[in-house]
Amino acid sequence: MEDDSRKEVILRTRDLSKKFGKRWAAKDLNLEVHRGDVFCFLGPNGAGKSTTIRMILTLLMPSAGSIEIFGLDLRKDRYAVLSRVCGIVEKPDFYLYLSAYKNLEMLGSMTCRVQKEEIMEALNVVGLTSRAFEKVKTFSHGMKQRLGIAQALLTKPELIILDEPTMGLDPQGMKEVRGLIKELASEKKMTIFLSSHLLSEVELVATRMAVINRGELIAQGSVSELLDKEPMEYSIQVSPLDSAVRLLEKLPWVEVLAAEDSKIELRVEPGHASRLNRFLVSNQIEVLSFYPHRTLEDFFLKITEGTSEI
Amino acid sequence: MKLFWFETYKIFSRWRTYISFGFIALIVIMTEVVMKLSANEILYRMMRSFQKDFLIFGNVLNGWFITAFIMNSLHIHIPFFITLVAGDIVSNEATSGTVRLLLIRPPSRSKIITAKYLTTLFYTTGLVIFLGLICITLGFLLFGNGDLIMNYQTKLRIVFIPEAEVPLRMLLAFMAAVWSMTVVASLAFFFSTLAENSIGPIIGTMAVVIVFLVLGNFPFDFFRLLSPYLFTTYMVFWQRFFDQPIPWREIVRPAVILGLHSIGLFSIAFIVFNRKDIKS
Repeated sequence: MEDDSRKEVILRTRDLSKKFGKRWAAKDLNLEVHRGDVFCFLGPNGAGKSTTIRMILTLLMPSAGSIEIFGLDLRKDRYAVLSRVCGIVEKPDFYLYLSAYKNLEMLGSMTCRVQKEEIMEALNVVGLTSRAFEKVKTFSHGMKQRLGIAQALLTKPELIILDEPTMGLDPQGMKEVRGLIKELASEKKMTIFLSSHLLSEVELVATRMAVINRGELIAQGSVSELLDKEPMEYSIQVSPLDSAVRLLEKLPWVEVLAAEDSKIELRVEPGHASRLNRFLVSNQIEVLSFYPHRTLEDFFLKITEGTSEI
Repeated sequence: MKLFWFETYKIFSRWRTYISFGFIALIVIMTEVVMKLSANEILYRMMRSFQKDFLIFGNVLNGWFITAFIMNSLHIHIPFFITLVAGDIVSNEATSGTVRLLLIRPPSRSKIITAKYLTTLFYTTGLVIFLGLICITLGFLLFGNGDLIMNYQTKLRIVFIPEAEVPLRMLLAFMAAVWSMTVVASLAFFFSTLAENSIGPIIGTMAVVIVFLVLGNFPFDFFRLLSPYLFTTYMVFWQRFFDQPIPWREIVRPAVILGLHSIGLFSIAFIVFNRKDIKS
């Protein structure tokens, strides 16, 4: 049952395009977000992520293509769709001269009737209860970001769209926001669509991803599926080194790149990482450390090679 | 209705909204106090042109006269106070980034822009009513009641309106003043939908009003020909309610022209806002 529900597409774009003057900011995008996904929309600055998100949230009118959310056409059923969606585009800007509470009350009431308890509950989830009645102009950027998530939670949306949710935050703030995103997906069963140019962020939170560059979709799929297509580089610390190198050189699915000071750099075919560890241990090689070099950054640079401007 | 309430709450939560009310109160209080102190001089100036021909009894320099006098003096200044809010109500959302927060909500752009426009009109009405109330209240306290005597020196005409008739005339004049100011508010509102900061719409509106007023008042034939095409020409039509009898024809035409201006400006603002791409 769960597999079926995970396959339900709740956001689908068909040939979605946006042209500014002569430049295509987004071109023929066909995205699919499944229920329960933490879907990360990845791309360098200026790739078209924000343009796409703005079209999905009706801030920009598409030049071509369509957007379907919950099976409804966004253009025709805007009210019904946006009642079940919430988003933060770029930075969460609030009415600075109003309190956090009043901001949430106003914005929440535009979607549905909200009770005081619900507002306080949303503020509690993001740890802002004690500042509820203070004006937002006294808030730090991180607090505003958390308030943004509180307003997203308030109307209990099924889909939350976040544009660069950790942008401008300090490491602690980034960690908190990532924690909240994971919590929303796992505990509140919300689908999250987030854009980021921070590659590490995707590895930390996403279940599925799409990569965009120069307005065009380059790849789309589950994070593991996309990453496992490529051989992965590892750095292992072993003892004794020479024996380990000799053994590894015999394996067809391993390529030793360098060996020095008990450390070996090697490339392993997809899906063989645990097998490699077992192989070394069973051959009396002590594995002191084992960590992957492969990062999303490598993946990203590889697939955008020649086109990326980062 | 909910959106209208939110918009009203927002504008009255900002201190800049109260600048207008504060300045109007200050100007009216200062003017009336100075007029009270210079009552004899004012009375002499008022009466000198017709005191040889008429024998006038009673309280000439009364609250009604003072109110009409201040209205006449402030019809150029009030638009500035209106633009402070009307020019800011949409553009400020772009400046502060809250437009993104607002437009991703279920209510349509049409509803949002209409609520903002109604709030602008509400503020405009409130400001003119505030001017009227403070003028009349203070005028009565300092100068008392009496018949209204209007001396139209340019037309070589004096109009006497009996005390009992003045409240209704004053009410109609203030309603007409609200109607006139609605055009200024609509112009500032329209500029506000085009801009992403409030300075442009405020300065733009004031520039249009001042330029139109100057052009409309130049004593040359060319500018006289131009005058009917400038909305500012019709903005003082509220003065006609102090004529005897009320020249309804001279009131209906400007009222219709100003109304069409307001509708036109709002319609363009409505279309612009609905088609606008939010890139900021």
